[in-house]
Amino acid sequence: MLLIMPGCGDDRPTHTPDGRVIVRYWEKWTGFEAEAMRAVVDDFNASQDRIFVKMLSVSGVDQKLLLSTAGGNPPDVAGVWTHTINVFAEKGALTPLDSYTEQAGISRENYIPAIYDQCTHRGFLWALPTTPATLALHWNKTLFEEAGLDPDTPPRSIEEFERFAERLTIVELDRDGERVRVRFDELTDAEKQAKNFSIIQLGHTPKFPGWWLELWGFWFDGRLWDGDSQITVDTQANVEAYRWYGSYPERFGRRNLDTFGASFGNFASPQDPFLSGQVAMVIQGEWMYNFIDQFAPQLSWGAAPFPAMHPDPAGEVTVLESDVLVIPRGARHPDEAFEFIRYVNTQAALEKLNLGQRKFSPLAQVSEDFIRRHPNPAIKVFMDLAASQNARPWPTLPIWNEYKDEIRIASDRIYAGDTTVEQALADVRDRVQHKLDRALRRWDAVEDQRLAEWGAR
Amino acid sequence: MGGAMTRGERQNLVKGLAFISPWIIGFAVFGLYPILASLYYSFCDYDVLNKPAFIGTLNYQDMVHDSVFWKSMYNTAYFALFSIPLGMALALIIAVGLNQKIMARSVFRTAYFLPSIVPLVGVSMIWIWLFNGGGLVDHGLSWLGLPSPGWLTDEHWVKPTLVLSGVWQVGGTIVLFLAALQDVPKSLYESAQIDGASAPVQLRHITIPMISPVIYFNLVMGIIGSLQEFVRPFVMLGGPGPNRSALFYAINLYQNAFQYLNMGYACAMAWVLFVVIILLTWGVTVLSRKHVHYGGEG
Amino acid sequence: MRWTSKLLIHAVLLFGALVFIVPMLWMLVTALKPIDQAMTSPPSWTPHRWVLTEGGETLTVGLDKMPNDTTPDSLVSVGCAYRWLIEIQGEPVPVRFTDGDGPGEAATLNIAVDYHIQAQIDGDWLPAKVQDPLAALAAQDPVSVVVIDADGYTYRKTVKPDQLRRTFDQSKQDLRASFGQSQAMAVPAGSLARSPIDWDDRLELAHVQVEQRQVRAGALSKHIALRWDNFPKAVSAMERFPDYLRNTLVLCVLTVIGTVISSTLVAYGFSRIDWPGRDKMFLVVLATMMIPFPVVMVPLFSMFKEFGWIGTLKPLWVPTFFAGAFNVFLLRQFFRTIPKDLSESARIDGCSEIRIFWQIILPLAKPAITVVALFQFMGTWNDFLGPLIYLTDQKDFTLALGLQFFQSQHGGTQWHYLMAASALVVLPIIVLFFFAQRTFIEGISMTGLKA
Repeated sequence: MLLIMPGCGDDRPTHTPDGRVIVRYWEKWTGFEAEAMRAVVDDFNASQDRIFVKMLSVSGVDQKLLLSTAGGNPPDVAGVWTHTINVFAEKGALTPLDSYTEQAGISRENYIPAIYDQCTHRGFLWALPTTPATLALHWNKTLFEEAGLDPDTPPRSIEEFERFAERLTIVELDRDGERVRVRFDELTDAEKQAKNFSIIQLGHTPKFPGWWLELWGFWFDGRLWDGDSQITVDTQANVEAYRWYGSYPERFGRRNLDTFGASFGNFASPQDPFLSGQVAMVIQGEWMYNFIDQFAPQLSWGAAPFPAMHPDPAGEVTVLESDVLVIPRGARHPDEAFEFIRYVNTQAALEKLNLGQRKFSPLAQVSEDFIRRHPNPAIKVFMDLAASQNARPWPTLPIWNEYKDEIRIASDRIYAGDTTVEQALADVRDRVQHKLDRALRRWDAVEDQRLAEWGAR
Repeated sequence: MGGAMTRGERQNLVKGLAFISPWIIGFAVFGLYPILASLYYSFCDYDVLNKPAFIGTLNYQDMVHDSVFWKSMYNTAYFALFSIPLGMALALIIAVGLNQKIMARSVFRTAYFLPSIVPLVGVSMIWIWLFNGGGLVDHGLSWLGLPSPGWLTDEHWVKPTLVLSGVWQVGGTIVLFLAALQDVPKSLYESAQIDGASAPVQLRHITIPMISPVIYFNLVMGIIGSLQEFVRPFVMLGGPGPNRSALFYAINLYQNAFQYLNMGYACAMAWVLFVVIILLTWGVTVLSRKHVHYGGEG
Repeated sequence: MRWTSKLLIHAVLLFGALVFIVPMLWMLVTALKPIDQAMTSPPSWTPHRWVLTEGGETLTVGLDKMPNDTTPDSLVSVGCAYRWLIEIQGEPVPVRFTDGDGPGEAATLNIAVDYHIQAQIDGDWLPAKVQDPLAALAAQDPVSVVVIDADGYTYRKTVKPDQLRRTFDQSKQDLRASFGQSQAMAVPAGSLARSPIDWDDRLELAHVQVEQRQVRAGALSKHIALRWDNFPKAVSAMERFPDYLRNTLVLCVLTVIGTVISSTLVAYGFSRIDWPGRDKMFLVVLATMMIPFPVVMVPLFSMFKEFGWIGTLKPLWVPTFFAGAFNVFLLRQFFRTIPKDLSESARIDGCSEIRIFWQIILPLAKPAITVVALFQFMGTWNDFLGPLIYLTDQKDFTLALGLQFFQSQHGGTQWHYLMAASALVVLPIIVLFFFAQRTFIEGISMTGLKA
């Protein structure tokens, strides 16, 4: 009656009925992004008779990967992000790929350098990229025209950006007993002071979509750490960035912004504030095109680098990240897994994948056809951003998750006016530095052992 | 049970233990062992990938100094303090209403009960949709000429919104109260009426004492439940919420354990939670000895 | 005065009941709307469509709401969707323009059509990859193809030309399927036909173009239209809904069986057999009710990890075979109400304890067992934290987790589908309630009274 289950591990088959090695591949994508990858997987499976890649969608792939690796039953290939590589590698959860790529003749020259570099950590290569992403300013050309701005000239500096943003903001207020609509820059100083208006249309808000609140410092020359052991969130550049962030509630009124923000529709819907023309300028990645295409195909829009505080002639600022493929430590079929990764990293496969996902290829070389066939008319903007010297990765910190959360909390406090920018960022530094110190001590304890393990391969 | 047992007793003991053996095994494997392991891990640095390393009371020390920990404590206490009394008061009012001689009582009872069986993830979806900016609730408010707060975006409104969604699911409590009310002897009310006691007086002196065991039961369950509140905030806010306003204890614990892989710290938190629950239950029980009225029709 | 207070009670109860029910109704209404109507202001309780009747042709068009002060003759801007079709072998095929957005002045147009090759293997038409598809279709000799079967496995096969066919991609879904091909061609402008499509369909069909058109307000009419097909669409948008449902049902069945078997046994041991120390032991059972899941979550996780159970359903059902305290408590209370004499006389007749349990007590305890089974079913159906922690592959998810996964996907979810999906998770429980209403109510009363 009482069946005690033996500690049986995993009963998944390792070979297909016709004797091909099964490579288990975990991906985070769902929907059309997963389908695009599936098409590539199917091509690979059809291209040879030795390996069969079985792709599975997995939620929270990063945590699940760590836990399954710890349990000794990881997949053979997993799709994660560049910004998770360092943590995984240091925990000893990944297989270094250097010897594989050497044999296959794959090297840094093949890739957009900044992307390849993000796949390395402590001198080893841990992953190869699939679908990169950069962030850019998206603007609504119709609203520019209505505001008397040139619809084809996006702002080039933060200063100009702010001027545009105010021009593009329309508010409604009582003036001499009458309800009128005016542009924000047409308000009198007293009216700006009183903030007794409601917002009808907004030029920009750094809180929307609010997915990179922790990275705003990049456009102000800010760094989040010194690359070694110090948290630098409270430097002058970052203070400047979050002062800019906090200037929005100061100028437009927090209550007004909140009320206006409450009317925002869901991101993936025609009522998205950018798609519906409520917000004129927004920072987004190249995937924004998919939503424009789906929900607001008639929108007249453009994409350009998001302006920096101190524009650098050497290159525009952006956040660059990439989805990558890794081989977990303890994978059963690492050689076959690499065979698959290598296939995905051919020019044809990467272009097919990125056309399907509507992103761009991480390779240095791109076919003419790719850009011509690419549905996103602005894809070149994103590709050029990726090649920029100022394309910055997320910080490769072992405690980035906690760090990110802390900055987000701080930005909320700044937005609410609960505290000064300096204080909020200093609080972040104190909390995070403490955690970083602990994490670094942990790394010091295992460093020699890890480096020996990795080098041995 | 030191003394010698008779044969029959010994036989019964063997039989009894045989019957309860599933529970004994289950308790040992899924109850006792995890609790003790949790205690051990709470003194370790443990990330599941590598072996736990003993670090003494460092996790507990960190906890005391961790403002996030205290924030999650505060959020949870806030939630419990509002949702339990509010839910019970509302349930009592509705139950008293349903206990009157009314038409279509079972239809009403069904209407009030239904929300309580909606799966929590479904509740969360419905509530995000209702309280979404520009959603149905906001429209209702603006129709009444009221401003709409950022239900799920303003840190001061997040917890009240969650409390409301909890109150929406008081159906089970209503049914319990209703069943208890129906057991209160009618004669008590009749004689009270003869004495000229008003309705509130009757409620205070007859109804509440008579159903106090059920109130006590609900209180204990409510405390245990609200200290573990997880699904609604997790799904509705997708994480800790604005300025961690929805970072409840269980969510904080989950994040530490499964997102940051600070399993040792999470276990320390788990133990604190355990102790708090035991203390609270004990406190309520002591209080109830004074106020809970057992007996009646027995 | 009595009737006024009675009226008041009814009014208050009615109002409250409405408040309690409205959220669920709103979910259902949203589930039946197209995405454009999900967030209209003011909110609309009637999913509808705008139909344009113009020149003998009717077409569903896009319109948020009729502007104020329109007369039948004033112009209204509406969204119209259409495709360009070309006829190939008698079939209208949507085309995309390889240069430009559509036909201009030019006499010949560069277009492309997208298609898939299918091969007939054992009677089924499967997606296939062929070296040179157009040549293969025209060839006489057998060709080598790679096909994908329903499980996603690929096989190399050799098929005769009449076992090959091509299907033109009509929907976005078709376009994204594996082994897609396209054929570029230059065609005379006159061979293309512009075909209007329903506004609702623009999100699904391939190569749709949209435009704003000014039309007479009088030509527009509003009809109530419930989009029942949101349900199948939401199911396919959730990708693995059938898996979720199957896993949930499997878990429900296993946990109900486990709970009923183990809890009745244990409750029997605690109520129908007198053994020394029984009641003290039972206090321990009661005390374990106090252990919250978060407290044991981490060690349980690492224990199941050692068993190799992470990523399987086992952690979610195996423990139910070891009797939960609450159910034991419920059943014990019930077993104690069964007169002792029944088992005593059976014992005298020489019945074994198991037979007494099985043949006498269990049949009498049916109502209590039903309650326990029902609550376990609900608990498993609703469980979220367990699946969240233990399950990895999407194909292993339960409905509750799948629903949350669907909602939290990158870029958010579309409300009408989300509500349709939520309704699919919620409604079975509601239906169950209407079938087992008495068990529900009795069960709840049982748990609370005599606590």
